[in-house]
Order: sequence, then structure tokens, then C-alpha cells
Amino acid sequence: MKLPKLKLKSQLAIFNAFSKALIVTLLLFLIPWLVSKISINETDEVLIQKLDQVIELVDSLGMESYIDMDAEFQAFGSYNILKEEYISIEQINPDTIINEIQFSQRIIEDELVDYRVLSYSIEENKNNYVIEIGKSISTIYQFEQNLKRLAFIFLIIIISLTFIFDLSFIQYLLLPFERIVKKLKLTNHPSSFNYTPIKTSTSDFVYLDETIHILMRKIEAAFNDERDYISNVSHELLTPVSIIQSKLDNILHDSELSETDMIKIFESKKTLRRLTNLVRTLLMMSRIENEEYILTEKVDINKTLRNVIEEIEDKIEAKELQLILELSPLNFIVGGNENLLFTLFYNFINNAIRYTDIGYIKIESFKQNDSFTVKISDTGIGIQKEKIPDIFSRFKNSNETKDSYGLGLALSKKICDYHKIDVDVISESTKGSVFILNFP
Amino acid sequence: MRILIVEDEKSLSSEIKQFLEKEEYNCDLAYTGTEASELIAINPYDFILLDIGLPDYNGLDLIKEAKEYNSEAYFIVITARGELEDKIKGFDLGADDYLPKPFSLLELLSRIQAITRRKFGHLSSIITFGEFALDTTKKHLQFDNNHIDLTKKEYKLLSYLVLNKNRVLDRLQLTEHIWGEFFEDDFDSNYIDVHIKNIRKKLSIHDNSNWIKTIRGIGYKFEI
Repeated sequence: MKLPKLKLKSQLAIFNAFSKALIVTLLLFLIPWLVSKISINETDEVLIQKLDQVIELVDSLGMESYIDMDAEFQAFGSYNILKEEYISIEQINPDTIINEIQFSQRIIEDELVDYRVLSYSIEENKNNYVIEIGKSISTIYQFEQNLKRLAFIFLIIIISLTFIFDLSFIQYLLLPFERIVKKLKLTNHPSSFNYTPIKTSTSDFVYLDETIHILMRKIEAAFNDERDYISNVSHELLTPVSIIQSKLDNILHDSELSETDMIKIFESKKTLRRLTNLVRTLLMMSRIENEEYILTEKVDINKTLRNVIEEIEDKIEAKELQLILELSPLNFIVGGNENLLFTLFYNFINNAIRYTDIGYIKIESFKQNDSFTVKISDTGIGIQKEKIPDIFSRFKNSNETKDSYGLGLALSKKICDYHKIDVDVISESTKGSVFILNFP
Repeated sequence: MRILIVEDEKSLSSEIKQFLEKEEYNCDLAYTGTEASELIAINPYDFILLDIGLPDYNGLDLIKEAKEYNSEAYFIVITARGELEDKIKGFDLGADDYLPKPFSLLELLSRIQAITRRKFGHLSSIITFGEFALDTTKKHLQFDNNHIDLTKKEYKLLSYLVLNKNRVLDRLQLTEHIWGEFFEDDFDSNYIDVHIKNIRKKLSIHDNSNWIKTIRGIGYKFEI
């Protein structure tokens, strides 16, 4: 069984409650048991004392003063009004020795009463008698019951009080810890981290807080370094590319070149363009990783899809594909970055067109169970099953026959992750692909 | 037309200068912000081409400065960083256009021409070839006062060819012009050819001359 993840505070409270409940249960069983043991012992001692008194009386007054020797039943009995105690003397068979204390029931005046009975045999005038002294135990029971109830109430009160006290103390103690957690939760980027130290008297929390601050500063520095690095590298790369391109432009501009030379220069320009695209895409991905794009624009998804389609429609026409557009009549506005979302849809639809030579490109948007979905399907070459897990990785292209750099989908995945959009791919080789984008 | 090119890469600025001077523009070069700042203070410029990533000067400060002395000048900002914030800030400060490195010189020229046309709008907005009239303000094409229905992209492509008449435009330049800087990696495809085919078809209904010449393996040329 997998236990649900709980807050430290709750876990401590639960443990606290459990341990207290355990103690209460133990005490509730133990106390009455102890009390009854003690009271029975006391009763027994009282009974023994009384027996001594009775024996003394019999010795000094003689058995005759209790038992009529001529009577048919050689017995004596006496009890007090409330039947709490009784004494009886009875003749028994000689040679029988009795000396015991036990629980027993007696009928007195048609009433069944529970007694603790001490039976003791003595020899008197060559006759054997048994003296019985009984003490009602209903009082003991009563006492035990009352004690149980009282103990229960008392324990509950005490435990509730200590539980509440413990809980508030734990809460107070863990307050700095919760502040640290909250601080981390509010931080979606190292630059937005709040470096104000947490106020606490617990040295462990001070240490934790300080360590997190140190780590956060390191991460922030690393982020900034990387951003500067990428920015500089791309600048350093794009400037020479720009120089070469301008030179090639100027050479092409001179029409004195032969046709073959011109084609060669044009081919070089194309290669340069590839390099440019590569650098720009990498730059964009790094910027997303560095969270440099604002996500607070209100983007109308259907409108953005229409803009992309307007931009790309001619490609669909040029390839004589059918465009099936099924956009939701509901407007769906998300907080995001319009440029990035445009690029995202553009990439997916452009890919669909590129890998489809016959059939249709279908673009749907709909609302389902409170979440909005954009679905882009094609009837293209599809993706082999074993390659689906790799399609979003950098520089892994599912289709080696067409020259692509495997970055388009990696960039798309980055944009999705950045917007917390869930992407699903359903595809079968030669049967086309479906990309499903689920908006949060 | 006088243009100031502010670019710290000497090799790049000389290429730009060479290209623009062929187009009869007068070009001054500044390799540092300080040099640029001095030149701006003395000379009136029509255009200032500014690389925002100068080693000694904040490019955006330079725009501010130039706006004081050269309030008539138009700014085209060049950047290799392509930083979005800079883009927005640049436009806020009055940059008229923005070009990410690397750009094609032809694209630069067409941006300069576009701004010039905007500036002197009505004077040069209609270009004629044969009986055709291309209105770059209203963005449409007419033949003998009959409107010819072109798609947005077809218009963009044709006007680019017409504005750069008698010059070979390669497929890359055309793709870049129509689709901009989207992350295109399939410019080997024949989308441009399909558009050209459609434009030719629409033109030939009215006039059978072969305006658009195919340059094998490279691109197209509009001949008048």
C-alpha cells in the first residue's frame, strides 16, 4: 500500500494522536484492573481481621452462645440491614478443613447477593464448625465503575489538552520551516527568489535556510552566466555568418559570374541559412530554458491557429493537400507568449505538411472535461513506433531521408513544457501522425 | 540619400557600404559609438543603420542622442542577439525597422526603400510595367484599370520582384521575404515555384510577355 504524502506537521500530529490514544487505551484497561486488585486485597484483609474477632468472641463466650446445641440445625447467622456483611457459623463434618477466600453468591431474604466470602473451619467441643464471613462486593463494583468513568473523562480531557498544546507547539516550531517551503514554492526562477532570511530560533532551520540561499545564488549565477554565454556565443556566431552572407550577396550581385559559379554561391548561401536557423533555434531554446519569455500575454488559441493557417495555407495548396479545419466555436484564451505559441503551432503544422504528400491536414480545437485541446492530424508517412519516444530529443530525426536538424520538435516540446501544455503523439508508420496538445 | 552605418565589424560594414553605394546611396561608416555620436552631431542623415551591440556604447542611448541632432533621420536597428526586449525598446525609441543578423543585403535595401516610399508616399507608389500598374500603397495590381486578384503572398512576391527589377533574386531571398524569420528549414521546396507559376498564369491572361524569368538553379528575375 502506498501512503499518501503528508506534511511534516500533519505527520507529527498524527503520530502524537496515535501515541496518546495508545496510552489512553492502556490506562483504561490497566487502572480498573489495578484498582479492583487493590480493593479485593483490602477486603480480604478486613475479612481476616473480622474472622480473628469472631474467633476471639467464640473462644471467650463459647460456641453455645451462638449455636443452640439442641437445635436440629446446628447453625448461626447474622447480617446487617443493608446485607453488606454477614456472618454464619455452621457445624460440618469432622476432619474437613476449610480455609479459603472466594467470590460466592448467597441468597439472603430472597435476594441474590455477590459476596467475597472467607470460610474458615475451627474445632470446638469436639465438633467441627465453619465460620463464614462475607462482604458484599457490589460496592466494589460500583466503585470500580465510577473510577473507570472518571478516569476515562479525566484522561480524555488531559489528552485533548496536551494534544492541542503539542499541536500548536509543533506548528509554532515548524513555522520557519513552512516559510522556507513557501519561499521555494513561490520561486519559479532563481532570479525571483526572496533572499530575506527566515526568522527562527531553531539552528537547523537557520542552517537549512542559509544553505538554500547559497545554492540559490549559485544557481542564479549559473543561469546568468549561461544566458550571457548563449547571448555572446550567438552574437559571435551570427556576426561572422552575417559577414559571409553579405559578401556572398555582393558577389551574386555582380552578374559577371558564370552560371555554375552563381549556383555554387547560392548553395553556400543555403548552407549558411541552415547554420543561421540552427543558431537561432538553439538561442530560442536556451531563452525558453532561461525563462526569458513573458507568459502573461492573453493569447486567443483559435485566433493564433487561424493566423498560422493563413501564413501556411499556400503550402497546403501547393502540395494539393486538403485542409480540414474544425475549430471550437468557444474562444479559448490562455496566459502565454503569443510568439512562442505561434511558433509552436507553426512547427507542428509545417511538419505535418512536410511529411504528407497525399491526403489531408486536419486541425481541430475543442473543449473536453474543462481542458482545451488542439489536435493536428495528417495522412503522411507517420513515425515508427520505436522512434516515437525520441522525436522530441535534440538532433534525433525520425526520418533520415529528409534533411532536417531534428530541432523543430525539440523546440516545440520546450515551448509546450514552458506553457505546461501536455503533448501526446499517436502515429503509425505510413498511416500518418496525430499530435494532441492539451492545455492546462 | 545619405546613410550612416554604425557597425563595429569593419568587414560587414564595408560590404554594406559597397552594396548600398551601387544603389546610389551615400554611405558614412562609424565603427564605434563615439565615432557615430560625433558624425551624427555634424552631418544630417536620412538613414542611420545601427548595430545595437556596440562595444563602447549602448545602442539605445545612441538612438536617443541622434533623435536630438537628426530628428529627420530614419533608424534601422541591426542586432545579433535578437533580444525581444531590445526590439520593443528599439521601436519605442523610434527605430523604424529592425533586422536580425544575418540579413540579406537585398532585404536591407528593400526595407530602406519601403521606409522611403512611406516617407514620400504618393510620389512613387505606382510602378508600371506594360499595361500593368502595381500600387505599393494600396497593395494591389491593375491591368488597364481592371483589378487583378492576387493572394497576399503572391502580391508580396510580385512586388518584391518588381521593386528589384532586372536583378536576380534567389529562392532564399524570396523565401525570407515572404515567410520572414520563421524557423524555415525546407526552403529547398518548390513553394516559391508554385507561387511564381500562379502569378505567371494570372499575368498571362492579360499580357503574354514573359515578365518573370527563371534563373536555373537559383531563382527568378523580373525583366522590364
